[in-house]
Amino acid sequence: MHELHRITLENEFDLILAHKRSMKLGELAGLTLSAQTTFATAVSELARWALEKGKISCMVLFVDNAPPNTYLGASVNNREPAAEDNFAGLEYAKKLVSKYQLSNRGKEATIELFYAIPGAPKIDIQKINDWRMTFRNEKPISPYDELKRKNEQLQELSEKIRKSEQQYRILTNTLPQLIVTLDSSGNITYANEWLEAFTGKTVEELNRDAWRDVVHPDDYLVFSILLSNNLPSAVFPIKMQCRLRNSMDGEYVWHLVSVIPLKNESQEISSWIGYMVDIHAQKIIEQTLQDNKALKETQQLLVEKHRELETTILQLNRSNHELQQFAYIASHDLQEPVRKVLYYADYVLTQYKDNLDEKGAMYLANIHAASARMRTLIQDLLRFSQVSSGEIKFDVVNLNAIAKGAVQSLQMNLEEKNGVVNIRNLPEIMGEKSLLQQLFENIIGNAIKYSREDTPPVIDVYAKEEDGTVEIYFDDNGIGFENKYVPKMFELFQRLHSRKDYQGNGIGLAICKKITDLHHGSITAQPNEHHGARFIVTIPSGLNNK
Amino acid sequence: MSNIYFLFVDDDPEELFILNDVFNDIQADITIRYAANGEEALALADSDYQLGIIPSLIILDLNMPRMNGSQTLESLKASERFKHIPVIIYSTSLNAFEKEQCISKGAHSYLTKPTSYAETLETINYFLMVAGSQHVRTDSRAV
Repeated sequence: MHELHRITLENEFDLILAHKRSMKLGELAGLTLSAQTTFATAVSELARWALEKGKISCMVLFVDNAPPNTYLGASVNNREPAAEDNFAGLEYAKKLVSKYQLSNRGKEATIELFYAIPGAPKIDIQKINDWRMTFRNEKPISPYDELKRKNEQLQELSEKIRKSEQQYRILTNTLPQLIVTLDSSGNITYANEWLEAFTGKTVEELNRDAWRDVVHPDDYLVFSILLSNNLPSAVFPIKMQCRLRNSMDGEYVWHLVSVIPLKNESQEISSWIGYMVDIHAQKIIEQTLQDNKALKETQQLLVEKHRELETTILQLNRSNHELQQFAYIASHDLQEPVRKVLYYADYVLTQYKDNLDEKGAMYLANIHAASARMRTLIQDLLRFSQVSSGEIKFDVVNLNAIAKGAVQSLQMNLEEKNGVVNIRNLPEIMGEKSLLQQLFENIIGNAIKYSREDTPPVIDVYAKEEDGTVEIYFDDNGIGFENKYVPKMFELFQRLHSRKDYQGNGIGLAICKKITDLHHGSITAQPNEHHGARFIVTIPSGLNNK
Repeated sequence: MSNIYFLFVDDDPEELFILNDVFNDIQADITIRYAANGEEALALADSDYQLGIIPSLIILDLNMPRMNGSQTLESLKASERFKHIPVIIYSTSLNAFEKEQCISKGAHSYLTKPTSYAETLETINYFLMVAGSQHVRTDSRAV
């Protein structure tokens, strides 16, 4: 049995409709006009019965291929069991058709009429489909028919919409995305379940400013602008990245927020849809990649810098070595001609003094004196160049012994000025003996040299030890110096006093600095309370490391 | 030939001139043989040795081309023929490290070159003293 058309039976108009449709069906099946009328009359009678006796019923027109016969038919579904009663119309209808059937199934009754088509033509699926289309496209027979159809369509549509909305809700609720619809003032009109689950806020709370607790403070401004929809619609859809707090663990999670306006038929924006998708993993990968890239670049830079540094160190070492060689060779070789000048000047002065007049002797003596100065200068320079890290071996050194040794070498100068050196208990340190001895000699020698003319030099040498560092103090009662000269005092060839007053090349303290440097220490000076000088040498004792 | 024979090794012949000047002034009876570097010095000593002449004293400069004083000292001290001869290192610059090295290699002593006539005289007297005592010592050993 193939259903072709369905007619709800509600009032008298539907009888006419049933008649017309069955006439049409007869025509389609190729019945003669009288046969059409017979079939349509039977159908109309059935419909009348349904209308008068039945309950909210519906008529179906059909075709039934049941070899050896082919039937056109109509059936009525009644929502209550029907009994064979003496309804005249139905009795009449029974007589007009080939077959009649009443069946009660549960609470429903079905009455079917079968009208055999003469010649029993085979009605194939194609034809049945054509007929269905014919009925569907049939022009409304009357305004009533039209109204009825529209109504049916509307009901169908609303059912579809109901189903689709339900599907949509199920879908949005199961998605791990935050989905909202917003009205024109940015209030949420719909939110999926995930939004509440994720934010831990109800829609009402969110509409009352609770977004502030959800969106990261750094992202809130842009987010609130986006949500307020106070932007020209041309710029939509807008996307932004922001951090939303997950209520379950309190952590901020990166989301991609998109807001899309929805327009009605007149192209006015009626509402908005917002999606927030978790892009945290993506964001972290992105960040990691960036960090990685930056790290690589930094590493590369570091490697380059390191290489540059190594080159510089190499060059520096080379030039430093060359400089030392130069200083050594220059001073060594310079000594030789100076010695010759000294020697010959002396020879003439001593062996030919009777043959020299006074002026000649004086000039020659000047040559001799200048050469002697030059020789001292060269020798000091040589000494300075020889104080280098090259061959230093550190040992435990007793500073008392060093100080006494230095005083011994300076004994003559000391006696000359009636000076005294008081050495108080000095500690042991790790150092190079001969360099330290030179250091003490230079500082104590300076103190003797720069004593006051009327006061015999008194020099106190003492030490303080703290945290593995030894501070050695050299206090004198000499002429002292002003504090402002301290920074330059330890540079090569820096002199505070004129040669006329005090001899010297400004090398002694430079050597001292070099020696303290080689001992990883330092040297400084300051005027003391007696307006003399105080030199302070600071050297790590080095004994803790042993 | 005199009893005392100095082998003077220095790349600067002027040094010999200065010494000779003073030797003449004091009229010392000394033979001085001159070599401009270590190689020459060793060759000279070898050829003299063939003639039965052995220096009483070798005076050695340090900075010399081809074979310097330090190397020459090592060769001399390694030689059975010459190792007993006193070697005085005679140099312009005073360097504690060099001095120590030379002494440890067997040098008799280490002198810086004089800068005056008086010093030169003292130096020569020192040479004579070292050579003379050595001379006496070898003699006494021969007895």
